[in-house]
Amino acid sequence: MMNGGRMYLGAVGTALPGEPVGNATLGKLLGVSDEWIDIFVGTETRHFGRDLGTGEVLRTLTDLCAEAGAQAMAAAGLEPADIEFLVLATATPDTLLPTTATQTADLLGLDHLPAYQLQAGCSGAVQALDLAGALLGAGRRTGLVIGGDVTHRHLDLDRDLTDLTAEELVNYLIFGDGAGAAVLSTEPIGEAVEIKAVLNRFVGLGRPPGQLVDWYGVSDRHSPRRMLTEDYKEIESSVPELAAEAVWDLLELTGWQAEEVAHLLPPQLSGAMTDRIVARLALPGAREVSCVRATGNTANALPFLQLELLLDGFGEGERALAVSIESSKWIKTGFALERAGRR
Amino acid sequence: MAATGEAASAARGLAIVGMDCAFPGAAGLEAYWELLLRGGRVVGEVPAQRWDTAAVPGAPALGGFLADADVFDHEFFTVTPREAAVMDPHHRLLLQCAWRALEDSGRPPGRRGPADDTEVGVYVGVMGGEWGRLTLGDPAAVTPQLGAGTSAGMTANRLSYHLNLTGPSIAVDTACSSALVAVHLAANALLAGECDTALAAGVNLQLTPTLNQVYARLGLAAPDGLCKPFGAGADGIGRSDGLGVVVLRRLADALAAGQRVYAVLRGTAVNQDGRSNGVTAPNRWAQQRVLEAAYRRAGVRPSEITFVEAHGTGTALGDAIECAALGAVHGVERPRPVAIGSVKGNLGHTEGAAGIAGLIKTALALHHRIVPASKGADQVNGRLRLAERGLSLLRAPLRLPAGEQLAGVSSFGMGGTNAHAVLASAPAPARPAAARRGAAAPGVFTLTADSPEGLRRNLAAQAEAIGRRPKSGAAALCWSSNRARTTLPYRYATVARDSAELAAELRRAAEGGAEALPRPWDQPVVAFVFTGQGCQYPGMTAGLHRESPSYRHHLGAASRALATRLGFSVEELITSGAEAIHDPLTSQPALFAVGYALAHTLIDLGLRPAAVTGHSLGEIAAATVAGALQLEEAAELVVERAIAMDATPAGGMLAVRASLTQLVELLAGEPELAISGLAELAGAATGGSSPGSRAATAGVAPRAPLGAASATTRTLAASVGAQPELAVAAVNGPQDVVLSGSCAALARVEALLTARGVRSRPLRVSRGFHSPLIAPAADRLRALELCPAAPTVPLYSTWRGRLLGAEPMDGAYWAGHAAEPVRFADALGALAAQARPTHLVEIGPKRLLLPLVRRGGLAPGAELLHPAPGAEATGRELAETAAALFRSGLDPEWDALYEAADRRTERLRPYVFATEHRFRWSGACGAAAPAAVRPLASVGRPLGSATRAAEPAAGRPLPPLLAAVIEAVTELGGYPQGHVVGTARFYEDLAFDSVMTVQLKDRLESRLPQLGTVPMRELLPALRTVESLTEYLAGLLTEQVA
Repeated sequence: MMNGGRMYLGAVGTALPGEPVGNATLGKLLGVSDEWIDIFVGTETRHFGRDLGTGEVLRTLTDLCAEAGAQAMAAAGLEPADIEFLVLATATPDTLLPTTATQTADLLGLDHLPAYQLQAGCSGAVQALDLAGALLGAGRRTGLVIGGDVTHRHLDLDRDLTDLTAEELVNYLIFGDGAGAAVLSTEPIGEAVEIKAVLNRFVGLGRPPGQLVDWYGVSDRHSPRRMLTEDYKEIESSVPELAAEAVWDLLELTGWQAEEVAHLLPPQLSGAMTDRIVARLALPGAREVSCVRATGNTANALPFLQLELLLDGFGEGERALAVSIESSKWIKTGFALERAGRR
Repeated sequence: MAATGEAASAARGLAIVGMDCAFPGAAGLEAYWELLLRGGRVVGEVPAQRWDTAAVPGAPALGGFLADADVFDHEFFTVTPREAAVMDPHHRLLLQCAWRALEDSGRPPGRRGPADDTEVGVYVGVMGGEWGRLTLGDPAAVTPQLGAGTSAGMTANRLSYHLNLTGPSIAVDTACSSALVAVHLAANALLAGECDTALAAGVNLQLTPTLNQVYARLGLAAPDGLCKPFGAGADGIGRSDGLGVVVLRRLADALAAGQRVYAVLRGTAVNQDGRSNGVTAPNRWAQQRVLEAAYRRAGVRPSEITFVEAHGTGTALGDAIECAALGAVHGVERPRPVAIGSVKGNLGHTEGAAGIAGLIKTALALHHRIVPASKGADQVNGRLRLAERGLSLLRAPLRLPAGEQLAGVSSFGMGGTNAHAVLASAPAPARPAAARRGAAAPGVFTLTADSPEGLRRNLAAQAEAIGRRPKSGAAALCWSSNRARTTLPYRYATVARDSAELAAELRRAAEGGAEALPRPWDQPVVAFVFTGQGCQYPGMTAGLHRESPSYRHHLGAASRALATRLGFSVEELITSGAEAIHDPLTSQPALFAVGYALAHTLIDLGLRPAAVTGHSLGEIAAATVAGALQLEEAAELVVERAIAMDATPAGGMLAVRASLTQLVELLAGEPELAISGLAELAGAATGGSSPGSRAATAGVAPRAPLGAASATTRTLAASVGAQPELAVAAVNGPQDVVLSGSCAALARVEALLTARGVRSRPLRVSRGFHSPLIAPAADRLRALELCPAAPTVPLYSTWRGRLLGAEPMDGAYWAGHAAEPVRFADALGALAAQARPTHLVEIGPKRLLLPLVRRGGLAPGAELLHPAPGAEATGRELAETAAALFRSGLDPEWDALYEAADRRTERLRPYVFATEHRFRWSGACGAAAPAAVRPLASVGRPLGSATRAAEPAAGRPLPPLLAAVIEAVTELGGYPQGHVVGTARFYEDLAFDSVMTVQLKDRLESRLPQLGTVPMRELLPALRTVESLTEYLAGLLTEQVA
């Protein structure tokens, strides 16, 4: 950390809207077999903030972020006055302005504090941790980071989906909605998990984007261009490589040996992809902590959902590595955790 | 509760644990904070109700005025309209404010539990006596109530009276420093141990323009009615209404009680100008000394102070002198200048309440870690030389960094009495162990009010406030509501896991009918009914085990007691969901452990069973709850019983939906299916005319003499191997019989009954319990050496079918109990008839006995509850049970329902009082009648048949004497016509006191001269209801005629 300061994870909160939506339900809506989803996507359930039947939005991103944030604050025994900064990462804000960060701050009762919003994909949560580390290093003591996405905006269920290519169809199947939050502080409170290192590097110079998420404005809302495109071939080959690099980067930053890593939080693109990445990472001693099969790819919420799972089995003195690769314009991120003695 | 020794020194100072206030444009604490944060300024024209501004030329006609200052929820405080009309409005408004502040502190107003021997002191700052001048001008109009209504001292005493607070009760008048001096006195009283909780308050209402004129003549009145503290444009004082109450405790006591601490009061000081430049002139040296004294008492250095809430009236001289004093004290070597500001820039000068306005603002600033900006100074007054003096005017809100922060509050009186208080931010609460759970834990949200309308009004307010929160766990909200929202007569309770569910539930209830919001009159009478064998299943009560700390504790205790004899943990067996639970060796101990733990979980929640009974095996757990067996003994008995039964030949049981008599008839032609006990039991059953009457008399008509148990068992034992192979094992109701014996014989009976259209069902057991097959086991139980005590809770024996008398629950008892039929219907019938329970709680892992009770009409009128009704049950059903009993009048020990991490204070929306009643405001107008009229019968006790008969049908004229009494009472209390009815109670409903009683006697004597002199001694006992008084008077008249 900056200034030789320390950063501790005090508590994690998560929010998933509504009941899980299974492949049978989604398959019926999209006209694909649930078996196909099981095999090629590997995601079993996900949650949506929108009622797929009526189209009504039941939970906004702000709702989910506030729920996760409130849960994390309560678990750490903190009140709004204790929170000195908020960093919120998302690719899918409820509105461009006001930011979802400030709307969430309002719901949480936070006032007179910096409320950053990071526009990011899968790397957003780690970017938020990185920024939090800098803020804590500069004199603040306690802050809240949140990541969340609501992808249902990209699910156009009115459209005839039978003519979609497999590649397009996947975009309907891998994502899910959710939010997660973490309380970070310079003192070991609550869970007292120390964040020993944060890796956050843009590595996309000269590389074409692996994922593109566009947005419409008033002037181009009738444009026929696709809002969501992914280069799956490139993602399939590059993400495991970058993830492997990230693991070595983190071991270098911490000075840990590979065999000292007891838990691994791998990238969560989809159930099928995650299996492939874990195989490539060569950390056989580490317990894999993944959530994507149950939650779908919730982008900025993922690391928090994984952290929540991690904490249940994270023993005193144990070490964990988390890796997240953003394939849009290629951002390689990760962090290293160590459980201090419980207070 | 008093803090002593190390704990006290570790937590020095006093805690502000509750607050409430009302200022112009800010009707409560939250609104006040919003006003401060957005830098709002309140000023308006003098309302017409106050005074005629044209009649006081030269005085400013602008200021800060509370809207609805004439509104008072007199019914809530049982104050008669007549008394409310003459009560000083200061008293009326402060009563409501004090109620809300106490509620906010997490200590319910009015409640004095047996463990609560704390004294609560009341210290109120209030200035002048304008109400007296307004109302006592006409000697002819003086009444006792008016006398009590106008004294300033009564401001404090009324709070003590209506809220039943028995510590010191003192009103303080030191002009504009009154409220902070009241805080000082309250603090000293707490430190001296004179009281354990203190209310410190200030209240100011502008009833007359007198001070406007005084300020104007002194050249101190701001023409625009606005204070501009430390501003270049400061041109005097703008006056304002306002009131506020803080609840103080010694910090160590507050922390021990788990109360929320807004801020810590570290030290206070009060002094006097002495002979300064005139009695009303401020004195720089005295101000400096009072600051120094306060810091000394607080043990802090001026350089540690981050900000000071200054007196800051915005007069040229006042600001200059205050800044000189502040500079002299704070202008030391320090990292940053001390930030200063004054709330008078927002509100104007609230005079008698000014100190509490500043104190509450400062406490809120420390709590939220944001100091609001000081308003009113667009340009800082350069002549104050703030920077040179180490001072800086707060022109934008200041975010306070983490760590302890210190602040000062000043308040100075016109007569030269100065006060200063030093506050610190609250210590960080002890962090709970981070809780990671699946589903959010359930809690019971409770809310009470004085009337159904009041309850609905408050349900709506809570729904609105909770609905605005981000979705989060509801348990802490529920626990907070249990602490302070349970003392009023009309009760609401609901179970919720998260805030969204809770808000929806509250909204639904707020929109519901009054009939859903009951008023319990008595405590519920609860009987425990323990389930017996056959109700076990894998994972039974696992959901409850997961969510109830209390249940985990007791199941662990029972499991340990059993483990020394069993060699394994039934707790682990239960939570693992193992199928082995059906093994007869394990099912009996496991069911006993579940019954024992469930009963003690309910006892932890404050349920005290009035009677217990247990079906077969269930009676052992019942015996422990009744105090007849200790846990260890019961564990030995259960394990021995299981082992002994396991050694008996295989057998089964068959539940039959038929009466004993029907069975006799059905099996009459089947000699090979003879059933032992059937004829005798059927004979006993037909002796009664109906199930109900049979049940009621069962207690006095035992089938067998007490000493005959062993003889009977021997007879049965001798019959093993010979006919009959079957026995009546249990009579569970008029149409519910259980047969027991060999599986082959049972199968034959089942086939026969099915053929004849009678429903029957084999039970999931592997032994023929309560049949002759069990005889060897009974012998083994008889040999057990137990030391049973006499039950301390009435225990209804299902072996004897009645209340267990002197018979000891020893080995012989349990032998007979195991071998002979279970007379559940008789036992429960006797229990229902004798203990008259309002609630029957089944203690077992699924709903088994309650359907029998309902079907058989065994406990008519009793509500049937089950805290663990089946495989899906969690902590929710336990919470539902507590909620149902709370609605019926029980005051549970709520803490037992929650995990430690959920027992933390969440701020709840304060009580919302009725606003439809407006009262006399000035000396000129008469008593305003309450706008809405509610006949008192609706708040009174439900009419019994006797009083109902006396109530005349609507529209029919009242008997003349009753009419005369009602008229006298109506006039005396100032009630609206139609409000007083015959059943209204003088003390509870009509708020009578001794003064009114004397007045009523005079009034009755003059109105009904034929009565002559009514003797007070006789009148008093007759003063229960309007009717009882009328009856007494009627008697007097009859006597005189005679």
